[in-house]
Parts: sequence; structure tokens; C-alpha cells
Amino acid sequence: MKKKVLSILLTAAMAATLLAGCGGTEEAANAGTEAASDAQTATTQEAASEQGTETAPAEAAGEAVTLKWAIWDQETTAYWSDLKEAYEASHPNVTIEMVDLGSTDYMTVLATELSGTGTDFDLVTIKDVPGYATLVQKGSILALDDYIAADGIDLTQFAGTTDQVTVDGSLYELPFRNDFWVLFYNKDLFDAAGVDYPTNDMTFEEYDALARAVTDTTFGSQVYGAHYHTWRSAVQLFGVLDGEHTILDGEYSFFKPYYEMVLNQEADGVCRKYTDLKTEGLHYSAAFSGGDVAMMNQGSWFISTLITNLASGEYDADLCGNWGIVKYPHAEGVEPGSTLGTITGISITTASDNPDEAWEFVKWVSGEEGAAVMASSGNFPAIMTDEIRDAISGMEGFPTDEASKEALNVSNLYLEVPYAPNVSEINSLLDSYHGSIMTGEMTIDEGIAAMNDGVSQILAQ
Amino acid sequence: MPKVDEIQKAEKISSLQGELTQLIAAVRTESDEKKKRKMIVKIGEYNRRIDKLKSGRLLSRETKRDIVAYSFIAPNFIGFCVFTLIPIVFAFALAFLEWDGSNPIKWAGLDNFARLGNDIFFKAALKNTIIYCIGTVPLTMVASLALAIVLNQKVVGRGIFRTLSFFPYVASLVAITAVWKMLFHPSKGPINNILYTVFHVAQEDLPQWFSGGLVLLSMILFSVWKYMGYYMVIYLAGLQGISSELYEAASLDGANTWQKFRYITWPQLSSTTFFVVVMLTINCFKVYDIAIMLAGGGSGELTTSATVLVYYIYQKAFIDWDLGYSSAVAMVLFVMVLLVTIIQFRGQARKERA
Repeated sequence: MKKKVLSILLTAAMAATLLAGCGGTEEAANAGTEAASDAQTATTQEAASEQGTETAPAEAAGEAVTLKWAIWDQETTAYWSDLKEAYEASHPNVTIEMVDLGSTDYMTVLATELSGTGTDFDLVTIKDVPGYATLVQKGSILALDDYIAADGIDLTQFAGTTDQVTVDGSLYELPFRNDFWVLFYNKDLFDAAGVDYPTNDMTFEEYDALARAVTDTTFGSQVYGAHYHTWRSAVQLFGVLDGEHTILDGEYSFFKPYYEMVLNQEADGVCRKYTDLKTEGLHYSAAFSGGDVAMMNQGSWFISTLITNLASGEYDADLCGNWGIVKYPHAEGVEPGSTLGTITGISITTASDNPDEAWEFVKWVSGEEGAAVMASSGNFPAIMTDEIRDAISGMEGFPTDEASKEALNVSNLYLEVPYAPNVSEINSLLDSYHGSIMTGEMTIDEGIAAMNDGVSQILAQ
Repeated sequence: MPKVDEIQKAEKISSLQGELTQLIAAVRTESDEKKKRKMIVKIGEYNRRIDKLKSGRLLSRETKRDIVAYSFIAPNFIGFCVFTLIPIVFAFALAFLEWDGSNPIKWAGLDNFARLGNDIFFKAALKNTIIYCIGTVPLTMVASLALAIVLNQKVVGRGIFRTLSFFPYVASLVAITAVWKMLFHPSKGPINNILYTVFHVAQEDLPQWFSGGLVLLSMILFSVWKYMGYYMVIYLAGLQGISSELYEAASLDGANTWQKFRYITWPQLSSTTFFVVVMLTINCFKVYDIAIMLAGGGSGELTTSATVLVYYIYQKAFIDWDLGYSSAVAMVLFVMVLLVTIIQFRGQARKERA
């Protein structure tokens, strides 16, 4: 008898999970899978969503709301939990539920999650602009203009980055993190070679000469003057820093001098070969912490990585402990401090049942309170004030020289990828031909001609 | 009341019986084969109806039998329908539509196919896939057949060699591509080191195994090495099915080794070869993992010299969200595989008739 009951129960459970899997709607999934293990949260969540739709601003009444937020790398990135805890502390009625989608193909996974109608995410983090463009076109995220106007958010505090992601006059995300590219260098290697450190005001010619001066090609004790990660942005995008060109131009001859510089450096052993890096899958952090790279252009996110990993002993302080940063090199006649940037934004899904509560969170995270939380772990918030800059440069482990502090002052910030309707396709195409040029499958001229053809075809559609 | 029912039932049965006997008589005189067959089916139907009335059951024995049979198929078939059949049908339809997964579906007609002609990446992917197939299929077949013949002889350590050649097939693709990348590393790998130190190839002429024209060669070599063990096992089974009397008879007639292979082994293996070639071709057209692991590097973007159709389908569908266009590319792949398979089936059928 007992056995029979058990088997019936098991079958019922199986049928329920089957239904949940096929049902597709969030309600069925909630009922089927969560009911057993997580009955409490499911019911509160459902109750919350029902109340949310009935009485619009639930916050006024102080009712419990759960917001589901898509993020990546929760384990290794401290600020997700910091933001969640700080917000929940000041808003006791709100629970933030984080879902980790992994960083490797975050935007692809997210776009798949938000396809169709069945999603229960309220908030999504936007990792890059091509992915943002996809979500805007799919109608998966909400235009924030009304909220921004109603709450009087001052967009000028984002230093012009929001203009570069505005879609037909509407903004669908607010940035809360803003990274920019700087030049990391290893002081020990410059000392050993008896060469002066890089400065905050270098032209590309001076940078190239410096990289060559510090290079040592002796087998067994190689020093690479420069290191370029395999990303397109690490080489090609030197070209957009003059403010006259963007990657949406459809005409790319302005990439040429920079490809020439890097490929010549490769040929002379000044930097590691692209094909080697591709084959090994060598990460830029491993390259720099290995202690044989004198200079490396990389995003400011690497600052907190260096600080934490040197403190924990994961990176050998004898190899890379004596590091510094300077501003990006610049072309002749361009203001120093012009650099590339990437913003990390936060958006509300159109499927959200609690858009008003979600907006409160967006406003908080992208505002000054969120910025303070971000800066406390050495990350660069989208709102940069002098206090925040001081907080980061005053952190334990940050280089103590004046130049490194000064390097945090950005004069012009150009997004790696500004918004355009076809930006996802343009991005894939440029990535692919970047590979063709760097591996030598195409000459620089052939590659640039192919980019011109391909992108003008996309733009003509 | 039940009596009236009984009477009605008896009347019905007798009328049906009457029609049935008429039909049977008609069948006997009918000369047209087609009509006759139709009538016989009808007779069966009448019989069933009469049975049903006589027994008074809701479901006839046949229907019950059918229900039991269908219920055995159902679990598998429902799963197949939901997860395979419907998506396949939908993919066919998508090729003529424009859809990004969220916005309303729009009719595109043949636009998606018209775009294929101007698409450099599609043409590159198509070319690379075809070259890869042409390179891989015959090479794998020859290599696995040769291995099977050698390892079918009584050589010392036969079991070990059989295991060794099957090993790459079992090993994880990700792990062995990592090893291949180390071996063929353009500046630090042992292969290029040997070329440099033993054969004195100049440093700038050392082959770049994972880019440019050589990447397809690397992929082909890798694929032959990884999959020949599997097809070797199939060939071994085929070889062991050949009767040793045939070889004995040939020896008595003075046939040499080549003649034995040419006139006994090869013809006897023809159905095995057919199976191997069909499976190989289909698997080759599906190539994706090898390209992405060998040539993709960290970011996974493939250049025009390494991109393959399946990768391009993925890219168009899940990165650019152009589902209609990506289905059109998939359709091209489907038609290609279908055509090649049909040709092979025809060839096999002709061979068997001859």
C-alpha cells in the first residue's frame, strides 16, 4: 500500500515537471518546479505580482516586492551582492533575486531568455551595446524617458555616454558602471631597461618608440614592450580616438596606421603574435601578471582585478606588483585623455509586473548611492565625481605615483560600440575581418576593403 | 425497454449481414483488381460493425488493440513531436519569413534566399564546408578501412592497437583540441619546432596551422584522426562477416593479396562502405565543434577562411537574431545533405541490382 502511494506521488511529480517544462508560461513553471522545494518564495512572489498589477505603486503601501535581476559572475564579482544588500537595507519591502547567466555569452543567453512572451525577469544588466540594440529591437526592454522626465534625472552626469546609446530619441538603459581604457605598465621592467616610464601625454609615435626601447628579444629573457589582447577594440579602436571617426562610418581607412603599427611590432618581436594568443587562448591578465609585458592597453576593470589578486597572492608581486597606469596614447593634435569606454547599464523588461519598483532600483543603482557602493570595491561607476576618483585612487594597492592618479581623468570618452540599428551585424563583421588581418589571411588593405564592402552592404539594407 | 433495443439490434445486424453477403457476391464477380481490393476492405469494415453490435461493447477489439499500440508509442512520439517534428516544420516555414523571436512575424517570400547570393560569409562558409567534406570523407574511409584490414590480421598486440585507434573517438573533443593546439602551436609547438630545427624551414615560413588556408587542412586531419577509429570498428565487423572459404578458394586459384582484396574484400564490404560513406557525409556537413575549437580561439569569432555553415546558422540566429535568414541557410545545408544522400542511395541500389 505504501509503495503504491509513493509511486503515485512520484508519477504525479513527474507529470508536474513535464507540464512545467512544456508549459512555457511562468505561472506553470512556478507552480510546477518551485512549489515543491521553494513553496514560500513562490507564493510571496505570486502574491506580490498580483498586488503589483492591482495597486500600481505598491511601494507607497510598503508591500513586499521581489525583483528578479539578470547578472553574470556572481561568485567572482563583488559588487552585485554589495548593491543588492545596500538596496535591501534601505528598502526593506523589496527583495532582489539575482540570476547568474554567466559572462561568456551573457547577452546571447539573455536575448534567448527574453524571446517570446514568457519571462519573469524584471531587471536586466546590459553588458554591451550590440546586445542592447538586439533587446531594443526585440521590444524586450522598456523606454525609460517618462521615468527620467518624471524624476528629473540629470543625464549630463553620465558625461555624454547616454547620448551614444539613445535610440530614436529614447533611452532604454541607465549606466551604472563606466569603464575606460588606460595603459597599464610594469615599472620594474622599465627600471631594468633603464628607460623612462610612460607619461600621461604621449603620441602614438612616442608610445611605439617607448615600446621598442623597453623590448628585449633575447631568447629566454624576453620582454615584450607592448601587449594587445585579441579583441578588436585593443587594436582597431585606437582609430576612433580623434573623435572624427566611429565604427559605424562604413569607411575604415583610418584603421590602417594602427594595424601597421601593431603588425610591425609583432614582426619585430615587440608584442606577442596574435596567432599565438589565439591558439593559446592566453588571457590578458595572465600575460600582464607573467611579468614579461612592459605595457598593455586594457580597460579600467583590470585595476580592481590587479589589486585583489595581488593582495590575495594569486599574482606574484615580484613579477607585476610594481605597476602603474597612464592615459591612453593619442594621435597628433588630439587632446590627451581621450579614450575608449564601455558602459554597463541596467534596464527594465517590458514583461515586468512591477516596473515602478524596478525603476526605483534602476534610479538608485545608477545614481550617487549606487555609485558609492561601486567605488567601494574599486569599480568605476558611471557617475564620476572627484570624491569617487579620490576613493578609488586612495584604495589600498592602487599605485601611489601622481601620474596614475591623474590617469583617471578622462577628457573625451568614446564608446567602443555606439548604438546603431544594425550594430550587432556590423560588430560581428568587423570582429571577423579583424581576425583576418591579424592572422595575415588578408593584407591590411584587403581587410579594410572587405570591411568597407561588408558594412556598406549592411548599412544599405 | 431492453427488449425493444434487442429487437432493433437484431434488425440492424440482419440488414448489415444482407449487405455483406451482397458485397461478397459482388467481389467474386468483380474483375478489376483495384475495385476488388476496395471491396475486401469494405467487407472487413462490415464484419467489424456486426461484431460490435453483437458483443455490445463500446470499443471493438480492433480499436482496443490500436489504442494499446498507440499508447506504447505515445510517450516517445509526443516528445518527438514537441521537441523535434514541430520545430523542424517551423524551421521550414521560417525560411520564408522574417522574425527576430519577439516582434510579429512578417512574410518575406524568397527574400531570404535572394540575400544568400550577395553574402560573402555565406559563400565562404559554403565553400569551406564543401572542401572539408571532400577532404574528410574519402580520407577517413581509406584510413579506417586500412586500419581495419591491418588490425583484422593476427598481429602481435592487436587488442592494444585496436583500443589505441578507437581512443580518440572516446576522448572529449575539447580536451584533444587543446592538445592539438599545443602540438601545432605556431611558434612553440613541437611540430613547427621539428620543421625549424630538422628541416630548416625559415622562421617566417613556418606554417600557421590555425589560420589562413591551412586551417581547413588542420580541421580535416583532426577529423580523420578523431573519427577513423569509430569507422574502423564498423569495417572490422564487416570484415569478420566475410566467409573465410572465399579466401581459401581464391588461394587455391592462385590469387595474390591485391586480387583477394579487389575481388573478395571490397565487393563483400560494399554495404558497409555505403553505410560508412553516408554517415560520414552527414556528419561532415554538420561540422561545427571542430571549427570553433581549433580556429575560434578565445572569442569564438571565425574568419572567412574557417567559418562553416552550421556556425553561420548559429551566428545569424542567436547573435544577430535574423531567424528567417538563418533558416534559409539551414535549408541550403538540408538540401545539400539530402541531394548527396539521394545520389548515394541511387548508386547503391544500382550496384545491388547489377
